[in-house]
Amino acid sequence: MTALRTSPVQAGQLGPAPETTPSAAIALHDVTRQFGRGKKLFTAVSQLNLEVAGGQVLGLLGPNGSGKTTTINMISGLIPPTSGTITILGMKVEARRTRRQVRQLLGTVPQETALYNELTAQANMAFHADLYRVPARDKADRIARLLDLVSLADRADSRVKTFSGGMKRRLAIARALLHDPEVIILDEPTLGVDVHARAAIWGYIRDLRDRGKTILLTTNQLEEAQELCDELAIIDHGQLVATGTPATLRRSYGATVVSLHVQTMAAPTTLGYAIEDLRRLGGVTDVTAEPAADASHVLAVATQEHAEIADIIGVTAHWCVIADVSIHETSLDEAFLSLTGRELRD
Amino acid sequence: MLRVIWGCAWKDIRSALTERSTLVQSITLPVNYLIMMSLFVLAGSHAPTAVVMYDHGPYARQFVTTMSHAASFRLETTSAAAARQQLRAGNLVAVVTIPAGFDKAVAAHQRMAIPVQVNNLDEDLTDDAHRAMRLVVTQFYAHADPGLVSIVTSEQDAYAHDTGYIPFLALSIIVIALMVSGLLQAGNAASRDWENSTIKELLLAPARSWEVLAGRMLGAFLVALPAAVVVLSVVIFVVGDHPARLALTCAASMLTLAVFVAAGNVLGTALKDRSTLAVLTRALPVPLFFLSGVFGPIGFQTGAVQGIATVLPIHYAIVLEQLGFKWFVTSTLTPATDALILAGYLAAFICLSGIALRLSRPSAARA
Repeated sequence: MTALRTSPVQAGQLGPAPETTPSAAIALHDVTRQFGRGKKLFTAVSQLNLEVAGGQVLGLLGPNGSGKTTTINMISGLIPPTSGTITILGMKVEARRTRRQVRQLLGTVPQETALYNELTAQANMAFHADLYRVPARDKADRIARLLDLVSLADRADSRVKTFSGGMKRRLAIARALLHDPEVIILDEPTLGVDVHARAAIWGYIRDLRDRGKTILLTTNQLEEAQELCDELAIIDHGQLVATGTPATLRRSYGATVVSLHVQTMAAPTTLGYAIEDLRRLGGVTDVTAEPAADASHVLAVATQEHAEIADIIGVTAHWCVIADVSIHETSLDEAFLSLTGRELRD
Repeated sequence: MLRVIWGCAWKDIRSALTERSTLVQSITLPVNYLIMMSLFVLAGSHAPTAVVMYDHGPYARQFVTTMSHAASFRLETTSAAAARQQLRAGNLVAVVTIPAGFDKAVAAHQRMAIPVQVNNLDEDLTDDAHRAMRLVVTQFYAHADPGLVSIVTSEQDAYAHDTGYIPFLALSIIVIALMVSGLLQAGNAASRDWENSTIKELLLAPARSWEVLAGRMLGAFLVALPAAVVVLSVVIFVVGDHPARLALTCAASMLTLAVFVAAGNVLGTALKDRSTLAVLTRALPVPLFFLSGVFGPIGFQTGAVQGIATVLPIHYAIVLEQLGFKWFVTSTLTPATDALILAGYLAAFICLSGIALRLSRPSAARA
């Protein structure tokens, strides 16, 4: 079973939303969120369908203002959807009867950490323990263990305002884990932290994944998404535009470019035949030829299928003398840009 | 349930203790009002007046004694030249001259004019001097020649002792103290959560909204309480107002503080900004103080003042303080009704706090 069942824009337009998979830890069905009224009506999220299976790490990717944080806020119960339903482990987030149970199951790390800067790390943890009704007998032990986990045990009695950005993020993660939530939501968990802190936070997330926790994280950093996530969902303008594993997305939404440096002095017309045959190959999306030095040319063949590379070399070798071959694999960044466009989003 | 409430309260108390300037303000602002009002009352109570005596006979001395008992003059006996100079310098409201032959004229029942020079720059003090001089003449004759003044008043007091204006107003100042500290502490606690985005920690928790609100109000109440106690102590030990009914005074003060803590909670949640709140808590008390009919029982006020005062919780709080401290009835309603209305304000502000918190969820999402 796939960890993620989604209905991207096309699917959403074609038919009804899929039924919730029984094992889905997080499920969004036809979720829309609008802000404002009249002329100021703004749709932040539109007809979003998303399911995350238990124990999976889903990365929600998107440019600034794409609707990631609104989605997270709806899942965590901070704001209700305008329409559609959201369930956590089968319980509706907004239902009066299950609302508090759902919140007990969630551990959320907001983008801005929401820590009390004027209080100590220990006091922040203790307050969270009271809010989430952590058993009193376990409270001190859990706080100590989690502060130790995020390497802040020696700063337990320091005020949070004296902490660096990385320390605050680590503390926010420790706090979110204090009540042992089943589903963890991380909004830009490594935003503004240094390389060491980022490595540490990635370590905690991997550890949580290994312990079977379901994690939903938003990020702008594609390297992070690739490192941590089992599945990715790319959202733009409030709509889901693509889903899949990082590797699938790279292959599906980017092109591998095979560059062939060919000698054409002996038979210049053969270059045209080579280009024609290459275009007939399955998976090839584009072929261009640029003249190079010494009456040679560089053929650039874009393909979406790795398996075609051998065919590309074979076809080219049939018509030309190949001097050099290089392969450029598309990155997740390029796939992301091809899906969301290249214009700046502020 | 209690754990969540106390957790929220304890968190807010610890946060508030890191903001010492706010704590100091909640004490100094009401004490300043007390000093300001006392100075205002003192400045307007006795007109500085010089007496120039060209006759030192027993009737002349009796006349000056009657003036000094009129409770309207701050008297100084001086020479004519010194009095003129003081009047020109603006240090005197009036110069009263006892002419030569005063005693003889009084004894002979002859008409006698007493020259009074008035600096009528301040109409209020000028009127005081006019009224007081007429009273002095009557009082003087009632004492010097009782046969001449046949009409006397027979006064029956509602209360055993007269109350000075400062001790009367000081009880209103207690309400202002409770108002400032309640609004400031509760408003700050609510606004701080929005400014620092920590509101998300509260809104995402599985705690009930009313538990969070109760905890927040309890925290603000406990932080504001010491400030209220300090101002109460100043009124008791410095001004000399001793509570006649201590339990009632404490109950009235706590109910009043709770009302303004709840109001501060609404204000802080609505404003979401401590600097705006600070401006409001400085600007609001004085006009509300004057509009609440603080200068006497509400029945003594004009219809307009009565109308405004009866829609403000400060009025009911002042009425209950007057009842607790002096057993004074300064309201046209029964004390129980006044207490119920104040409790109604508390309930209304608590409901508004809940509504404000619920309505502000989208703001928290955008924060």
